[in-house]
This record gives sequence, C-alpha cells and structure tokens, in this order.
Amino acid sequence: MAESLVLTEDEALELLAFFVTSARILQREPAKYGSMRLLMAAERVGEFALERSSPDTQEFLAAMAEDLDQAMMYMADHERFVDDMDAMCRKIAQYLVGRDETGGEA
Amino acid sequence: MTSEQVLEVIRTRRVIRHLTDEPVERTQLEKILEAGRWAPAGGNHRFVRFVAIENPATLQLIRKISPGMSQRPPAIILLCIDWNQVALAETPADDPVIYIDVGTAMENMLLATHALGLGAGPVTSFSKEAMRVVLNLPQHLTPEVAICIGHAAPRGQSPMIPKQRVTWQSLTDWERFED
Repeated sequence: MAESLVLTEDEALELLAFFVTSARILQREPAKYGSMRLLMAAERVGEFALERSSPDTQEFLAAMAEDLDQAMMYMADHERFVDDMDAMCRKIAQYLVGRDETGGEA
Repeated sequence: MTSEQVLEVIRTRRVIRHLTDEPVERTQLEKILEAGRWAPAGGNHRFVRFVAIENPATLQLIRKISPGMSQRPPAIILLCIDWNQVALAETPADDPVIYIDVGTAMENMLLATHALGLGAGPVTSFSKEAMRVVLNLPQHLTPEVAICIGHAAPRGQSPMIPKQRVTWQSLTDWERFED
C-alpha cells in the first residue's frame, strides 16, 4: 500500500481550519450548505494532493476535480445533484477497489 | 451619468465568486470605500466601520477561516458593526437598523465595484471569532460581511438556489392588502 505523504503541514492546517470553522458556521446556515462545504473541502484535498500523488491518483484527482466543479455548479438542481453525487461515489469506490486489489499501485 | 446608466449598473451587477489574481488599484479601493461612506444610515449614525485588506498573507489567512469564500480575492473590505457607536447613539442592540446599515453600505460598495469594472462577492460564511483574531479586531467591532473584490474570472457562477424568474412585479403588492 502506498504510504507517501501528499499534504504539507500548511495544507493540513488549512483543511483543519476549514473543517472547524465550517462546523461552527453551519450552525447558523441552511442544512443543505453542509453538502456544499464537504465538496469544497474535497476540492481542496484534491488540489493539495494532486502534485505529490502517484500518476494514477493524479489522473483520478484531475477527473474528480472536474466532477466536483460540475456537481457544485448544479447543486441547486436537487435531482441532478443527487445523480452526480451517486456517479462520483461509484467512481471513488471503483478507484479504491482497484487500488486495494493491486496493493495501492492502481 | 444619466439615470439610465445608473439603472443599468444596478440591473447588471452580479455576485462574483471567481476572481483572477490581478490586483486592485488602491485608488479603486478608495472609491469603493467612499461609496460605502455615502450609504444611507439610520439616524445618520455611523454604526458601520470598514476594514480594507490588501496584504496577501492576511488575505490568505482570512480565506482559511472563511469556508464560504470560494474566491481568492486580491482585496477584501470587511464591514463591521461598531458597538461603541451603537451605545453612544443609545440604540438598542437588537434594533434592526444596525444591520440595515450594514446592508446599505454593502450594496453601495457592490454597485461602485461593478461601476468601476471590477467584480465583487459578499461572504458571511466565516468564523467571526477567528476573523477577530486574524485582524486583531478590538472588542467593540464585530465582523459582519466580507466583500471580496477583484477582477471577475471568465468562469460560470454557481447559483445557491434554483434559478427562478423574479420580476419587480412578483415582489410587489400595491396599497392595502385585501382581507
């Protein structure tokens, strides 16, 4: 299993700040904003990890970035958003299964 | 400027959530701040203070504690309520006029930004406590809205709610409501 580090200390701290401040702000925001904040966090993880990931994961993250962008564009359309998210969940699961089967090399 | 030009600026202003790295000139920022100064204020009191931020390191810190800030703005104007001024005017802390004043100042600034050919997006999704620390705000100021200012990036905007046809007619009733 690949064990290389893909986040810097600053990037990890930025994500920590994003999660904690989001948790506080979501107490006074509509519940549906929770999904948006999580996608924004996923977008940042992808951006940070892109350069230092394996070539396969780089390819996966690049595709995921496009999907995330598209999903956030259409958040207001509930049915489409749910479909987009289901498709992304399937893609993530497929990639994870592939990596698991090849010991992290896929 | 004709009345039609003013109305066109009002009609065409949009919230901009994607900005380029291009810096905003100090003179432009000052014009936007001046537009805020001329906003209508309840009782002609000055409950709203402006904090202008151009320093890149500070801007980065603000973005880190502002989950709602999808922009990477080259400038931010933070609108704060000055509770010393509220107390001085003997205005109750729950008087809505305090927040209405924040809104009028913000809208003047958004319109000025658009009139100058720049883009702006207001953000309230930040941690007020973290913002206080980042800017070393005195206790009598509370940060209410951060206006991200810059040059609009050519990228699609994401609506927060489904797009709907809104007209002034759909928002307006005339005279007394019927029983």
